[in-house]
Amino acid sequence: MNDKCDNKKKILVCCGTGCIANNSIEIYNKLNERLKNSDISVEPIIKATGCNGLCEKGPVVKIMPDDISYFKVSTNDVDEIIEKTIKNDITIDRLLYFDTNKKEKIKSHRDATFYKPQHKIALRNIGEIDPLIIEDYLEQDGYKALHKALFQMSPTEVIYEVEASHLRGRGGAGFPTGLKWRTCSKYDQYPKYIVCNGDEGDPGAFMDRSIMEGDPNTVIEGMIICGYAIESHKGFLYIRDEYELARKNMEIAIESARIHGYLGTNILNSGFDFDLEIVRGGGAFVCGESSALMASIEGNIGEPRAKYIRSVEKGLWNQPTVLNNVETWANIPPIILNGSSWFKEIGVEHNTGTKVFSLVGKVKNTGLVEVPMGTKLNTLVFEIGGGIIKDRPFKAVQTGGPSGGCIPKEHLDISLDFDSLNNIGSMMGSGGVIVMDDTTCMVELARYYMEFLSEESCGKCTTCREGINTMLKILTYITEGKGEIDDIDLLIQLGETITEASLCGLGKTSPNPVITSIKYFKDEYIDHIINKKCSAGVCKNLTSYSIEESICIGCGLCKRKCPVDAIIGSKKNPHVIDIKKCIKCGSCYSVCPTGAVIIGGAII
Amino acid sequence: MKIKIDGNYYEGNLGETLLELAIRNNIDIPNLCHKSGLIGQGRCRLCMVEVTEGTKTKIVSSCVFPIKNGIEVSTSTENIIKIRKDIIMLLLLRTPNNEYIKSLAEEYNVVPPTRFVDVNSKENCILCGLCVKACESMGTNAISLVNRGTTKAVSTPYDDASKDCIGCGACADVCPTNNIKLVDKNNERNIWNKKFNLVPCSRCGKYYTTEQAINYVNKKLNTNEEPLCDSCKRKIIGEKFKESCQNIY
Repeated sequence: MNDKCDNKKKILVCCGTGCIANNSIEIYNKLNERLKNSDISVEPIIKATGCNGLCEKGPVVKIMPDDISYFKVSTNDVDEIIEKTIKNDITIDRLLYFDTNKKEKIKSHRDATFYKPQHKIALRNIGEIDPLIIEDYLEQDGYKALHKALFQMSPTEVIYEVEASHLRGRGGAGFPTGLKWRTCSKYDQYPKYIVCNGDEGDPGAFMDRSIMEGDPNTVIEGMIICGYAIESHKGFLYIRDEYELARKNMEIAIESARIHGYLGTNILNSGFDFDLEIVRGGGAFVCGESSALMASIEGNIGEPRAKYIRSVEKGLWNQPTVLNNVETWANIPPIILNGSSWFKEIGVEHNTGTKVFSLVGKVKNTGLVEVPMGTKLNTLVFEIGGGIIKDRPFKAVQTGGPSGGCIPKEHLDISLDFDSLNNIGSMMGSGGVIVMDDTTCMVELARYYMEFLSEESCGKCTTCREGINTMLKILTYITEGKGEIDDIDLLIQLGETITEASLCGLGKTSPNPVITSIKYFKDEYIDHIINKKCSAGVCKNLTSYSIEESICIGCGLCKRKCPVDAIIGSKKNPHVIDIKKCIKCGSCYSVCPTGAVIIGGAII
Repeated sequence: MKIKIDGNYYEGNLGETLLELAIRNNIDIPNLCHKSGLIGQGRCRLCMVEVTEGTKTKIVSSCVFPIKNGIEVSTSTENIIKIRKDIIMLLLLRTPNNEYIKSLAEEYNVVPPTRFVDVNSKENCILCGLCVKACESMGTNAISLVNRGTTKAVSTPYDDASKDCIGCGACADVCPTNNIKLVDKNNERNIWNKKFNLVPCSRCGKYYTTEQAINYVNKKLNTNEEPLCDSCKRKIIGEKFKESCQNIY
């Protein structure tokens, strides 16, 4: 390697779904075109990478080795980037990341409070490599773990290593991965199968998509290692049908892995055979449930079955099967390569390693976040997330997707791990974290999740199908102002039955949003039912707006914002809302600089 | 193997489900989606019981639970009765005007919350899936459960007349809520939007089944038997039995 090579600048353009939607492909193309026709002495390499996590601030362009990250880049910035940063090493301040905690512009994204507390294992290569070029993955120690497993370890040793790492399934339930592998390896029934669950369906969660798009090879490597460990020669990747880019990148990665001898017969001359097949998801949320997923691969209706006999014994086509989630697979190569003791150092006891969360909702910084297990919720919301938008009061966090639970202010110091979350009635789920402020109505939120689940329940068992639907009816009554006080008890009663008597995990956990919101926000339910008031101003039947005369400064902002001209008043004089005209959109409430607009209950 | 149910011991066979064992011993566990001869489904959830294995107690659906040596079963704890009542209430909310579900509710003293009852409901299907299982067992697979969530239903492909349906009526026969409409009129049968010509019994002349059903069975069993209605078939078997008895004594 000569000096010229060391001087090479690398331009990394994020080409994850979020950034592509914001035109990053055009930026990539324009950069290529401009550099081709230029006389730049340093040779830049442009790479289309996977998602960097800060999707909201995309498209993201990184310049290495200077480690400069530009956010919200547009095609108009391309010439300036080449002229200043590439040619003359001048940083463009305008495109730098503004850290809301530090209140300053930051050159390297690594220094931002959003990234600092993060520890990347599953996402280690994402945003750093081109997912379509296997050499990029190899440069980052890719397939070294497979080498190690095949030539330096016995299948039993591989299982032991995974077991010793205490890795737990990242799909939600947190079942010990090593134990799953060990149990499956004990059955002398062949063929055995390996499945990757890529049917990510929780609203707001996108870590699996990001891994499949940005680093498909790590999933492939993890699956091959498991195949070797449990003597399986065939794996399936069940990928959600909406994830077109993930499927495409996965297909290309599988093909190049075959060409390089990592998949197929006699892998790396070891005598071990293993191959992968992609299965397109059927489009149902419930197919993320392992037994429904397997039914779907077999070509049957995506309905779960009772798991009194586990999939490790009788899974796909009644053969022993190991099914893990995308993020779990991504953790396998580093564990094998670096050893279980390295992995165990990260995180807390019984909850080792890291977890990827997708932080969304009313926080300043949203995106994918990978932190050690046991990180406090506080850190996630206020440090990494930068706090609540407009610094409004924090109300609750919903973790674990639609069948997770809400966590109120008093539990903000909870440790983010499987057990602590379960203890307070929520769950880890796939790692979705939705932050809510005081403008969220908890009753409406519970109703919304029940509506989602009533549509997404497979409908097989009575308790889940009819139970959720009945809970939805009750909650709709409450949000419409037709609730009665006994409804709360009925919700709890039904919630218990659904939890105890439903067939699968989706059904069993479905009452969580209702039960936890009743537990932590019962006042709000009572307010809806007795006082006919929705203090968040969300349930229209239970909301009215008025202007407090003594606070109003007569600025006229609300009057201008009102879409139906329901506000009257002259400059510098208190304004009044005409209730007959008001459509309760809340525009006046959010625009008022003095807080003079007040939310009241239903006007009867 | 020995299984303890509500304090008494019963001998279980390997591969048997808990519900099958209970039915064999006349232990009452209510159920809607089970039928002997058809494999357990775990849909209706009415057959939930408590199973204690070592120190662990869990609630299982007995129609799909494979029995294990040494387990202890309680079929009517306070919690199980509460779950049963809730499930019947949920079914009643789905099919408030179905006679069978109404009688079940009466038997278990279930009164639904009136505010949530649709008094004009014409729904009679509880989605137990027995009809689909019966059709599957016949080998015809003409009907299936379709859609999911609140829109789940039983239907033929695209709700059209199915080319696979032979009009045998097995689906209507197993339906616990009498939801499947099988209409025999003027020597014609109407089922699942399909019309069939009925065939008379070669003995009594009663029009009792479809030509397709007879052909299907003959082809499947590789026979060519004369068409006989159920009661004539029974009569003939009875006569044969009587004859053979007379030969013995």
